[in-house]
Amino acid sequence: MEYIVETKHLTKSFGKEKAVSNLEMKIPKGEIYGFLGPNGAGKTTTIRMLLGLMRPTSGSVQLFGKDMKNSRIEILKNVGSLVENPSYYPHLTARENLEASRKILNVPKKRIDEVLKQVRLHGVANKKVKGFSLGMKQRLGIAAAMLHQPELLILDEPTNGLDPSGIIEMRQLIQSLPEEYGMTVLISSHLLSEIDQMATRVGVVSKGKMIFQDSIETMRKFAQASIQVRVNDNEAAWRSLLANGQKADIGEESVTLQAEDDEQVAGSIQYLVQQGFSIYRVQEEKRSLENIFLEMTREEQAG
Amino acid sequence: MFSVINSEWFKLRKSKVLFLLLVAPLVGLFIGLANSFIEIEGINAWYEKLIMMNFTYATLFLPLISGVFAGVICRYEHQEGGWKQLLALPVTRGKVFLSKYLVLILLMLAMQLMYLVSIYLVGMIEGITDPFPMDIVWKSILGGWVATLPLIALQLWVSIAFKSFAAPFAINVIFTLPTILVINSERFGPYYPWGQPFLMMNISGSTEDVFFVPWDQILMVIGGSFLLFFIGGYLYFQRKAV
Ligand SMILES: Nc1ncnc2c1ncn2[C@@H]1O[C@H](COP(=O)(O)OP(=O)(O)OP(=O)(O)O)[C@@H](O)[C@H]1O
Ligand SMILES: [Mg+2]
Repeated sequence: MEYIVETKHLTKSFGKEKAVSNLEMKIPKGEIYGFLGPNGAGKTTTIRMLLGLMRPTSGSVQLFGKDMKNSRIEILKNVGSLVENPSYYPHLTARENLEASRKILNVPKKRIDEVLKQVRLHGVANKKVKGFSLGMKQRLGIAAAMLHQPELLILDEPTNGLDPSGIIEMRQLIQSLPEEYGMTVLISSHLLSEIDQMATRVGVVSKGKMIFQDSIETMRKFAQASIQVRVNDNEAAWRSLLANGQKADIGEESVTLQAEDDEQVAGSIQYLVQQGFSIYRVQEEKRSLENIFLEMTREEQAG
Repeated sequence: MFSVINSEWFKLRKSKVLFLLLVAPLVGLFIGLANSFIEIEGINAWYEKLIMMNFTYATLFLPLISGVFAGVICRYEHQEGGWKQLLALPVTRGKVFLSKYLVLILLMLAMQLMYLVSIYLVGMIEGITDPFPMDIVWKSILGGWVATLPLIALQLWVSIAFKSFAAPFAINVIFTLPTILVINSERFGPYYPWGQPFLMMNISGSTEDVFFVPWDQILMVIGGSFLLFFIGGYLYFQRKAV
């Protein structure tokens, strides 16, 4: 497969501490990649290395199949970015801020008005940015990242500081990018709920290590409901189910059925009754994506 | 390359520090007019003015203000993440460094020219009737400028390295203040980079070469410190993590 972003054994140490450790990130073209991890997981450090702002301690970064070390300029022509807190020149207006970048990017002047409209800042285009609210600065940062219609957009916590309607607008904007412009988007967050409605792929990082990387559907499968059954003798019931060829797990106080549909659940319960077990409880347990994400990062931290 | 310089100039122009350029002629006027002068028979009156004005201007003002400009051109990059925004654009760090440096030395050149105007004004106001020594004035104006080239390179390096505005300025003051003492030393004076603006603008210096300082000293002290500071800053910037 052709990847827009591919890192190999990417590692960054600060002193003895490894902020990013052997990270293998793979982002296919046209995906919206949600880059998730708790505070201090190494998301921003990874993104800095993707943009060549910081040198990796070891490992490599390839964007569009080109190596960051040798083809930095060529690569960056097609990348737009927003790293950590929004960056801006406080003494310039919103329009002037974009103009300072535009001169270097060499794109037509009309792009400035286009991106200002896209992020709904055209009303305050001539105001000094130092007077902007955090959300307005964040929008300006996104506008700057889109100025040259890059093939890859890298946004580090772009919803930081946005109000709910701003978050929804942002989500709609980002969702439309792959379809309309064929862009690939990398968006980091520490909240799964924030990106699960737009991401098509997810990478979960914890303590600098990638602990999950797959499509959002695969992640959702983890979230499917499971049926827990409590009987008079859980262990015997579990063995009996396994002997009958049904999938089940044993927990501390119950047996968990891995049933795909209602019929299977009914069949398993009927079987247990026929075997003479007393059934005390049958309950459904739903795990939200957020829970899965929390469990993933918690396991990693405990281990 | 031109687009990067253009962008630098745009950011600097909007920062309203260009009025600092006006400080140069004002300082010139002030020094020039504050000191009464006695006309000495047989000597061009301009010479006396030049010696007096250039002394304060070149030992103190020129090195200090060059540092201030270097600080300003980096300040708005440090303030709110400007560096990461700028360096994530398709531009090499080398070009960014060079652009900032070029803009700075052009500003200093403009400032020297304004100082030249102030010299002329002082003479007019005081009613000097002797012929204006154009060649000597040019020598010291351009010479002073050349002497600041290494200082600007160092100040740019330090200003990139420190997030605060005060630290590079303090360093500049620490090196500039001893100048008055060092230039009086025959042994160290010629080798002290911060003393070079004065020596280059000192019209009573040696007049055998193009400037008021012998060529070998220009090449060795000014050229040498320029290479050291410029390459040092350039390499530092290449490796700086933002
Ligand atoms: N310049 C630096 N010097 C030393 N340590 C650093 C530096 N930058 C980051 N770190 C450390 O690297 C680790 C990862 O930081 P990073 O900013 O990448 O996390 P993050 O995933 O972006 O977190 P957040 O969600 O809070 O933004 C942290 O432990 C941090 O302390
Ligand atoms: Mg971060």
